[in-house]
Parts: sequence; structure tokens; C-alpha cells
Amino acid sequence: MFVYVLKRIGAAVLTLLLIMSITFFLMNAIPGSPFLTEKSTPQQIELANQKYGLDKPLVVQLKNYILNYLKGDLGVSLKMQEGTDVSKLLFHQGKFELSIKLGISAILLAIVIGIPLGCIAAYNRGSWIDGFLRVMTTVGVAIPTFVLATLLLIYFGVKHPVLPTNSGSLTDFKSMIMPIISLSFYYVCYIAKLTRTSMLDAINQDYIRTARAKGVKTRWIVLKHALRNSLIPVVTYLGPVTAGIITGSFVVESTFQIPGLGKYFVNSILSRDYPVIMATTVVLAALVIFMNLVVDIVYKMIDPRITLTNKEG
Amino acid sequence: MKETFAKLSPFQVDPARVMGEYGLSAADFEPASNDEKESMVEKRKSVSYWKDAWRRFKANTVSMVALAVFILCLIFAFIGPYFIPYSYGDQYRSSQKLGPKEFSDQEQLVVDVQDEVEYMFATFTQPGSITSLDPGAYYAKVKGKVYAFELEKLVDKVIIAVNPDDADPLVMIREKDIVDGHIVEKTPMEFTTTASPDAKQLKMVKKVFPHVFGTDSVGRDIMARTMYGARVSIMIGIVSALIVLFIGSIYGSVSGILGGKVDFVMMRIVELIYSIPEVLIVLLLQVVLKDPLQNWFDTSESAIVHALSTLGAGIISIFITFALLYWVTMARIIRGQVLQLKQSEYVTAARALGASTGRIIKRHLLPNCVGPLVITTCLQIPSAIFLESFLSFLGLGVSAPMASLGSLCSDALATITLYPYRLLYPAITLTIIVLSLNLVGDGLRDALDPRLKK
Repeated sequence: MFVYVLKRIGAAVLTLLLIMSITFFLMNAIPGSPFLTEKSTPQQIELANQKYGLDKPLVVQLKNYILNYLKGDLGVSLKMQEGTDVSKLLFHQGKFELSIKLGISAILLAIVIGIPLGCIAAYNRGSWIDGFLRVMTTVGVAIPTFVLATLLLIYFGVKHPVLPTNSGSLTDFKSMIMPIISLSFYYVCYIAKLTRTSMLDAINQDYIRTARAKGVKTRWIVLKHALRNSLIPVVTYLGPVTAGIITGSFVVESTFQIPGLGKYFVNSILSRDYPVIMATTVVLAALVIFMNLVVDIVYKMIDPRITLTNKEG
Repeated sequence: MKETFAKLSPFQVDPARVMGEYGLSAADFEPASNDEKESMVEKRKSVSYWKDAWRRFKANTVSMVALAVFILCLIFAFIGPYFIPYSYGDQYRSSQKLGPKEFSDQEQLVVDVQDEVEYMFATFTQPGSITSLDPGAYYAKVKGKVYAFELEKLVDKVIIAVNPDDADPLVMIREKDIVDGHIVEKTPMEFTTTASPDAKQLKMVKKVFPHVFGTDSVGRDIMARTMYGARVSIMIGIVSALIVLFIGSIYGSVSGILGGKVDFVMMRIVELIYSIPEVLIVLLLQVVLKDPLQNWFDTSESAIVHALSTLGAGIISIFITFALLYWVTMARIIRGQVLQLKQSEYVTAARALGASTGRIIKRHLLPNCVGPLVITTCLQIPSAIFLESFLSFLGLGVSAPMASLGSLCSDALATITLYPYRLLYPAITLTIIVLSLNLVGDGLRDALDPRLKK
């Protein structure tokens, strides 16, 4: 187990380094310099390049930048807010907290609603409730986040203005409703589907039959035996959920005008602010990788049958 | 015969008594002739893999309905444009900002009188900002007859109508000739029955075709644009899925067949790529690739590059992204399948009989991998469409003259509060396409590979 965790952490660090290098080279492949404006002269650009170390060979730049990251120095914004520390931009202006707040609420909602829905569907298999939930979840995974977000915005923000259209900094509960629903709806549906199928799988197992034969109450069987075992696929799905929620946040943050990381990332790409692109990518990627790591370890802990050294298939 | 004996208890030993009891004679115990043997052989047509799969698929009502819906979507996207007179790029200046099935005032003028003439050409309903006909030679073709005429000066806002059975078949109706929805005056025009070679054809119609989904702010027909967008989205989905199929299946099968150290290294690479959050890289690639690709398009002279340039840099970078990052799932599935098949008994048997590796791959591995290949490819299409629409929605993805369902939604955002239907139509089309493809994919999984059933 210990060796396994160490191995996984090693792999995670390697992935992060790979992502940093990919981002670095891709970013440098973007044509145009961050200092290129209509007024700037070639001398000015050169001076600026020297000042920020952009005149050095790429490999040296990459090395410097990885070393700086290890020290916690994310560099200085070149364009969007010139001269400001990127770490300050990302972490001390509430952007990071805002996105985390939004993301965690969405993941929690997806779990808290998705799993019970799946259980209800499996419990009432074949009934109209199951039918309704099946239709809902099947349609739900076919609706793009941006469509759902805009439809909610039109309906509850404009036609029947009960909720604010500009969610701002998510200070009150009302402003959080629409962003979180649109962000998590897909995952609610997906998790409900997943829970239903794995629950039905589990119900057919021998230990359930034994429990039934012993006279254990159905509700107790569902909660104690079936649910526990059907949660394994749901746990493994949480890694992709994190990645997906980050993706969704790009859309949701611009639709509801939330000044979070997602919106900032898109803006930083469009304005070619190298250090900001870099830092945002690395921070978001680190989040996803960390989540995958946690999921892998939790997965191992909750299901001792799984041997993780044997990764066939 | 067998049954008769089965009824006997093993303790009964007198065959004569038994035969008498059951009405049998010694002749019943003669060996069967070849003819008789033949009639006992069970004759059933052997069912091929695809026939069997198709039978299972047909039994699945949901998938069949989904398949029908998807075919309808294909018809809408690919054949639909031939049935509507509007094209996705044409701007109808007099018909801006119309709601679904609405007519602009000028179109209404024509609609009111369309029953009073048989065939007509109305300048108001033509694309472009000028609703006039320049001086020159024109001709119209109605029921095989040609009506050619010449305009000496520019005419503005007129209807040129043909009533083949009238004394004056070719008439011109001006805007002022229409009063309260009725034609009060028709100006007969002179015509010849042969058109000069430089004459322009006027497309005659019986009725004004409504803008079923309305029009946008510059007067483009939204239904035509939705059809076009659906076409682009579906093609992007299919091409991306094929790219994934190509790279993923080759990588996966090589890794699975070679095995050993090669497999180990190849799978570590897959794991590394798998753990990269794709969308971050996709967004970066979109921005990074756009300008260099555009540059390449502008400078290169080769025909292939020219063909690619009509697609635009945005779409090409979507394809590149798929080629770089999205093949890993396919590779994993195929590798797993190959590994499993490699250890199967019939492959061992084939090997023991001296079959070459090439033959084993061709005869045993490939046919058995087809199921998972088809399923994964089919399910890749909707996810590619999803990704493309997401990128286009953020303003990356497909660029200006082109449109996809995602970019149509994104365009509609600016005026969302006033004209919500502009978002609704492409969004619903997108959802229906993705939904039907998902269900078809699920059905295929059940039909082609029952073992994969979740």
C-alpha cells in the first residue's frame, strides 16, 4: 500500500512536469510577443524580453520556471495586470476561492442528488419512477452545459426574474443556485445512471441473496450491502468529474459573470499573458491530478479485492 | 424411436413382449439409410455475426427509434438544404430579425397576392441588400416553356409573374399595384420563347417560403444556418471519431500484440496522456495552432492544403487535438481486447497448428475486435460534437464564415433576451443529435458485444 501510494505520487509529479513542459512550449509557439503593441519599438520589446528573461534559450527558461514554481513563485503578470505577482492575482483576489467554492458545491450536489436518485431508480426498478429517471438522466447527459446555463438564465433570470442574472462573487445563496445547477446537472444524471446500473449489478450478487435469506429487511440490504458495493464505480468517476467541472466552469463563469479562475484562464489565453496562462494551467491541472490521486487511493482502500499492481486492460 | 426406449424400465428384458406392446417389428431396428439420416440433420441457416447483431439491435426499440431520429437529423442536415430556397450565408435585408414563421412587411405583401398569380419572382424576397433587377436580359422557365424578356432600365420592388394560361402570360406587378392585399394592376410584358445565351434565369416559385426558424440580425435564415451547422458538427464528430479510431486501434493493437517491455512503455505513455486534463490543452492548442495554420494555408500552394484551408484553422486544430489526446481510451480498449484474445484457446490452437502471426491477426484478432471498435467509435462521435460545440461556444472552434451548432448558439447569446429562439433551435438540434447517437451507441454495445453490457 505504502509503495503504491509513493508510486502514484511519483506518477502524479511526472504528469505535472509533463504538463508544465507542454504548456511552456505551446505557449512559446503562440505567434506574437506579449509586448507587441502598436506603439512598441523593437528596442522596447527586446528590453522587456531581457527584463523578464524571455531572451534566454527555451530550455533555460523552462528550467528557471520549474525551479521558481517549486519555490512557490508563479512569476509576474506581463499584460493583464502588468507587474503584479501571478500568485497574488490567482489566490489573493478571491478568484481561486470562488472557483473552488463553485466547483466543490457542484461536485457535492452531484453526489448528494445523483446517488440517491440512482438508488431510488434501482429500488423501484421497472416502475414509472425508474422510467422517468431513466429518461431524465439519458436526456440530461445530452444537454451541453452552456445550453442549460443559458436556458436557466433566460427563464429564471429574465422571463421570471426570481434569480439574479449576474451572480458576481456568489455572496448570497440565491446567486449560487443557477450556476451550481447548470454546472452539476450533467454529473447528477451521470452519477444517477452509474449508481443505478452498479446497484442492479450488486443486487444480483450472492451475498445479497444470503442477506435476504437471513431475513434482513430490504431497505437495510439496499443501504448496507448494495449501496456500499455499488459506490465503487461512482468513486472512480469522481476524477473525471473534477476535470469536467473545471471545464464547465469556463462556460458557467462567463455566462453568469462570475470572476473566477475559469473566466480568467480564457482571458489570459486571449491576451497571451504567458505567466498567467502557465500558472492557471498548472494550478488547474494540479487540482485534477490531485483528485485522480485521491480517487485512486480511496478506490484501493474501499475495495481490498482490487490489486493495483496488476493493471491489465 | 429413442423416446420409445426411454419409457422402458431397465428391468424389462423381453423384447418381443415390448415390441408387441408398442406395435414395433424387427424392421424398425434396421440401420437407417442415408436418405433417412439426411432428413434428421438439423437444417438451419448459419447466422453471420452482423446479421445476429442486427437482429439483436432491431429487438431494442429504444435504439431503433434513436437510429430513426438520427437518420432524420442526417436528412435534415444533408438533404434539407436542397428543399429550402435559402442558403446559410445569404442575407435577406428586408427580412431581418424575424421570429419563427414570421414574414417581413415586404414579404407579407407578396404572400397576400401569391394566390392571385401562378408562378412568380419577387425581388423583395431575394438575398442581398438591393431589392432590384439590373437592366439586362432575363428568362424564366415555367412548365418547360421559356419566357425571355429584356429590362431596359432598373426595376425596384417588383413581382414578375407568369400565368401560363392567361392572354398575357408574363406580367410585372409593382409595389404600388398592390392595394389592401390585392393586385389592382398588372403590366403585361413582351417576351420571346427563346432565351439569349447571356440571359439570367429568374427562379420562379409558387409561394413565398417562410423562415421556419426565423432570421438573425442581418437577415440570414436560421433554419438554413441550423442545417449547415448540424452538417458541420456531424462531420467534425465523424472525422474526429475516425482519427481516434485510426490512431487508437493501431497503437492499442501494436501494444497488445507485441506485449512485454514495449507494451509496458507504451502503456505508461498512455497513462501519462490519460491523466492530462485534456480541455486545458485543447484550449491552449486552439489558440496556439490558429495563427500558424492560417499562415500555412495562405502561403502553401498545394491542393491538399487548399482543401484543408476551406475547413478553417479552428476545425483543423480540433482534429489535431483529437489526434494528440483523445485516442488513449480507444487504445486501452483495443489493447485489453487483444490481450484477452491472445490468451484464448482458439488462438493457442491456431498457433499450435502453425498459423503465422499475420494469419492469426487477420483471422482471429481483427474480427473479434470489430465489435469494440465500432462501439467506441460510435460513442466518440457525440463526445466530439460536444467538445466542438463547447469550444465554438467559447469563441474558439470554427471561425467566421463557417458555422457549427456551437457557434450558432454562441452567436445567439448576444441577443438572447430578445430572441431566445435563435439559441433554442441550434441547441435543440445539438441535443437531439447527441442524444440519438448516445442511444444508438448503447444499442450497438448491447447488440455487438453483450459481454460489455454494463
